[in-house]
Amino acid sequence: MSALLILVPFFSVLILNLPLKGIRKLAFGGAICLSLLQMAAVFIPDAAFWKINPHAFGSIFSFELSADSLSKVILFCIGLVSFSALFATRQTLKDSAGRFNFINIILIAVAGMNGVALAQDIFSLYIYLEITAISSFILIAFNRDILGLEGAFKYILLSGVATVLMLAGIALFMLIAGSTSFAVIHAVLLNHNKDFLISLGIGLFIVALFIKSGLMPFHGWLPDAYTAAPAAASVLLAGVVTKIAGVYVLIRILVSVISFSPAIKSILLLVGALSAILAAIAALTQSDFKRMLSYSSISQVGYIILGVGSGSVLGIAGAALHIFNHAAFKSLLFLNSAAVECQLGSRDIEEMGGLAKQMPVTSLTSIIGSLSCAGIPPLAGFWSKLVIVIALWMAGFRAYAVIAVLGSILTLTYFLILQRKVFFGKPNAEFKDIKEAGFSLTFPALILAALIIGAGIFTPFILNRFILSFNSIFGG
Amino acid sequence: MLSAIFVVLLFIIGIYCIMASYNLVRALIGLEILIKAVTLLIIAAGAKSGHLHLAQALVITVIVVEVVMITVAVGVVVGIHIYNNSLDVRKVRRLKG
Repeated sequence: MSALLILVPFFSVLILNLPLKGIRKLAFGGAICLSLLQMAAVFIPDAAFWKINPHAFGSIFSFELSADSLSKVILFCIGLVSFSALFATRQTLKDSAGRFNFINIILIAVAGMNGVALAQDIFSLYIYLEITAISSFILIAFNRDILGLEGAFKYILLSGVATVLMLAGIALFMLIAGSTSFAVIHAVLLNHNKDFLISLGIGLFIVALFIKSGLMPFHGWLPDAYTAAPAAASVLLAGVVTKIAGVYVLIRILVSVISFSPAIKSILLLVGALSAILAAIAALTQSDFKRMLSYSSISQVGYIILGVGSGSVLGIAGAALHIFNHAAFKSLLFLNSAAVECQLGSRDIEEMGGLAKQMPVTSLTSIIGSLSCAGIPPLAGFWSKLVIVIALWMAGFRAYAVIAVLGSILTLTYFLILQRKVFFGKPNAEFKDIKEAGFSLTFPALILAALIIGAGIFTPFILNRFILSFNSIFGG
Repeated sequence: MLSAIFVVLLFIIGIYCIMASYNLVRALIGLEILIKAVTLLIIAAGAKSGHLHLAQALVITVIVVEVVMITVAVGVVVGIHIYNNSLDVRKVRRLKG
């Protein structure tokens, strides 16, 4: 039954495009309903819902779907962020035909991401990744302005190279295991001695995922793509797309297929620490609102990778919790940047100032988002960073735990700079007639802010259930 | 063994093509050559491990996905050409920082 999460968005795209009168008006409401239903579906406790017959789809390669607690966290994030992105389209895309197309592509991207979250074999994982990637290329270049096209081209080229590396890894796994299913490859890799081809395949796969998640030596495309994309597309990309295409797949492959080794751990920790620190320093020097948030995104992904690199259940649970928190606060901050850009027509933070009075809702929600991102208690971001630091300390990587704390201070620094330049400080006379952004940008921002505060206060309860259930992904 | 040599050769040609040329279309052609190398690798891996039927199913899917990706990419290149009136990579430099 979990296949419904993939099939329903696909079929709703088909139905919305039937030549029927008035059906296009249903697109927005229908897509919002789908995202709400998806968030509700995560809480279905019935185990039968989450398993399907592995041979239901064909005979040649088994096409398995199943979900554990990690996939459910991801599915919830997809629902949440697509909900916010859909609302953002209402104000940022004025043309109704264009908005209809945009919503269709968001639905295809959601179907692809749900597939990535549920896939249990390495090849269908690749297909769903490509569906997600191709729809995000179109979303970035959607306005057909030159910046969007440039950002999209850079993303296409690097994502293409990552795809090639990933396929080469898949081919090598297939050569050794003779199958593409996670379980079979895992069993073969456990019994096989570490020979050259296996190490090569694992290396190619991990580098491909580093490119896809935009980690520091391979980050070139990410700030360009996020900055150039239309506002609603940035919300979707920064909130979930790259987190799923890169980080989630990395966790899934490490847990279900490759399993941790000391070499993999040290590579992950090195790359994670590099991204967490260098991207935060790069964010300090930016003057473009969205570009600063993009570098912040790289830095937070570095945190997630540090959590994964600790190799313990606690670290993975902290990483998953941080993926969820990141989806909440980064889509909130991108919604705020969309609100500011919509009202001012500019993204240059040097020009702004004193907007707190004119845009009270945007200002308040962005403070909550920034503080959560910087890890200030009792907001949600604090808990996930705490879990990651504790996991690093307990696993014996104490230097990296210290680096993680330092990165958090840098995060606080650039967000304080951002807040001071945009919402506080001296008002710019040029922008004195600015009003608050419309309902469709402030409403999802308020919901996300409430979620961040709520998740922060109730984290001790969530964490208990969460970490207990995370033991199962190693056992399964 | 022969196919392994060809795979490595195609990889080198594809990467050289992406790195050395300043033309957007040539960069896409380089990407295509890389994907061809991988397609050959999948078929060779299937033949070697005795799972040729699996490899065939995978390769056909890879070809379909690749066509879709290149179509979108060529659309983007056409868009860039409309603005820049050239296909030179060195003119695709507006985003910086």
